[in-house]
Amino acid sequence: MILIDHVAKRFAAPAAGAGWQRKGWRIARTPQAWVQAVSDISLHAPNGQITGLLGPNGAGKTSTLRMLAGLLIPDSGRLEVDGLSVTQQRAKAQARMGILADARGLYPRLTARENMVYFGRLQGLSDRAAQARAEQLGDLLDLRSLLDRPTEGFSQGERVKTALARALVHDPDNIILDEPTNGLDVLATRALRETLRYLCSPAGGSKCIVFSTHIMQEVERLCDQVVVVARGRNIAHGSVADLLAQTGQTDFEDAFVKLAFTADPELAV
Amino acid sequence: MSRSPLSRALGQWVAVFLKEAKDAWRDRRTLRMVLLLSVVQGPLVLLLVSTLASEKESRIDKREIYLQGLQYAPDLQNFIERQAYGIKAPPADAMDQLATGQLEDAIIVVPPDFEQQLQTLQMPSIAIYANSSSRGSSTSRDVARKLLQAYAQERVALTLVVRGVGVASLKPLEVQEHDMADASARAAQLTGSLIPLYVLIAVLTGAMGAAMDSTAGERERSSLEPLMMNPVSPWALALGKWCAVALLAALIALLTSLSFIPAQFLIRSDALQALFRFDLSDAMHFGLICLPFAGAVSAILMATSVRGKSIKEAQAGNSLVLMTFMLLPLVSLLNDAAEPDWYYLVPSLAQQTLMLHVLRAEPIALWQWLLPSAVGLLVTVAALAYVGRALRSNAVH
Repeated sequence: MILIDHVAKRFAAPAAGAGWQRKGWRIARTPQAWVQAVSDISLHAPNGQITGLLGPNGAGKTSTLRMLAGLLIPDSGRLEVDGLSVTQQRAKAQARMGILADARGLYPRLTARENMVYFGRLQGLSDRAAQARAEQLGDLLDLRSLLDRPTEGFSQGERVKTALARALVHDPDNIILDEPTNGLDVLATRALRETLRYLCSPAGGSKCIVFSTHIMQEVERLCDQVVVVARGRNIAHGSVADLLAQTGQTDFEDAFVKLAFTADPELAV
Repeated sequence: MSRSPLSRALGQWVAVFLKEAKDAWRDRRTLRMVLLLSVVQGPLVLLLVSTLASEKESRIDKREIYLQGLQYAPDLQNFIERQAYGIKAPPADAMDQLATGQLEDAIIVVPPDFEQQLQTLQMPSIAIYANSSSRGSSTSRDVARKLLQAYAQERVALTLVVRGVGVASLKPLEVQEHDMADASARAAQLTGSLIPLYVLIAVLTGAMGAAMDSTAGERERSSLEPLMMNPVSPWALALGKWCAVALLAALIALLTSLSFIPAQFLIRSDALQALFRFDLSDAMHFGLICLPFAGAVSAILMATSVRGKSIKEAQAGNSLVLMTFMLLPLVSLLNDAAEPDWYYLVPSLAQQTLMLHVLRAEPIALWQWLLPSAVGLLVTVAALAYVGRALRSNAVH
């Protein structure tokens, strides 16, 4: 179970003419400019469900997931994974999550298996357990023929599958995926969708899955609930049917555009 | 999953070390180049030094001198030939050749009225032409000067003897020079300035690639962000990465040191070959001396690389580190006095000083071993603490 409660985050941005400036007789540092990446985003993702974080580019999806992953400290708000505070018990919370980052970041000189085993060892698995898990994931994600090949030269789809396998190596209860279908072809996207459905089913362990995307079709076909974000804050949430009803649209893309790009206070949640 | 935090951190450290070592091992092109350089560097340095020494020896051994105006100085000719030196007439454009460095030997030029002025005690003037920018010309000039001084001394002695003055009054004392340096120390004068410096350079350049790959390389290939999403202790991460880099640096130190053993057979100077002895024990001493340096320098290079967003950015910071550690040993080379104790507090200067002790076959006191090791350890711990923190804070952006 994942809880994101009213988180906010701003970043220092290089301002025009940043550095030092003359103020009368003294030289002072140019005041920093700030960018509010996340203003107020909340989300509750239960186990056995796929929760979509849907928003246009620059809506604050990746920053929110990075805070959830323990890479960024929020300026305010609360992040919990299975009741563990990400900011106060980061290592324990990280051990309960498998995260597919936007940057897949595979090690090109290591094989797919070695990439998985390395992360398994960092998650505290023994070498034998990590090896066995790599075999299982090879079957689950149809990676068996790639397991012993260096990841250098992998196609985009093979890269995503390997990175996903690496994120799942310690069999986490919570799976976070940042734009998982970026660069994937139709077949690879369908295969990934099937895998995610399996993972949140009781047979796959009733995992809690949160994934960010800006692609409507994925949300429509996959998500049990959707949180729509824009300009760093929540705009709406509910199932796809709920959101269609809220906006009075029949097409989900039209509903999303209405929610994300029109400042209608009645639609804001 | 119920492991203690310490055993978990140890497991992570081992995993990071094995992964980094495997990664470095598979980067064959870089590894091949680094190892080749470390093995070839030693023989090349010795070959270079010995070639210079051999050229000097052969110039002295050649016992030939260029003399222009031989017909004006039969007595001088007689003297030079009695010293077993051959006399050669310089080529027609000798001065041009000398000025351009094509001719390396000095030329003695005798004026036409030399003999006549000599007989009438008018202090004739003889010129020696040499090119000080050429090392060979300077050696040849020294030989010509010594010959002419000896000839002048003989002329004075003969004149005084004819007038009944004893030679002893001309030379009231005899100077006896005794060189107290043993063979190793004399050989170290030639090789000491270069060999330790090249071992240190090999360690620095060898460690740099691996240090950058394990830190800035993680950011360049975007693998740092997923890596930091694991519950990995910063110490386990920094220590595991450092172990792989330091292991490579230590291996390079040992290989470079060992390469001087077969390299001594390439020495082209007879005198240097007779003096320079470098055996397995010396190579092992070199390796041991370089261990704390390899560790400290690996950690420092990782610390300077860790904020780089790419290998290229890290390279800029590391060139400063490289230059500093390459220049520090020059302090001892420029100082002729006894080495002060603070040398042992400065990484690279301490190692250079200790390696010179080995080359001179001088004993090394226990504190001289321990002080650089302690400094190396402190520097390593401080740099790794920084690397551990910086890896986490730089995972994003």
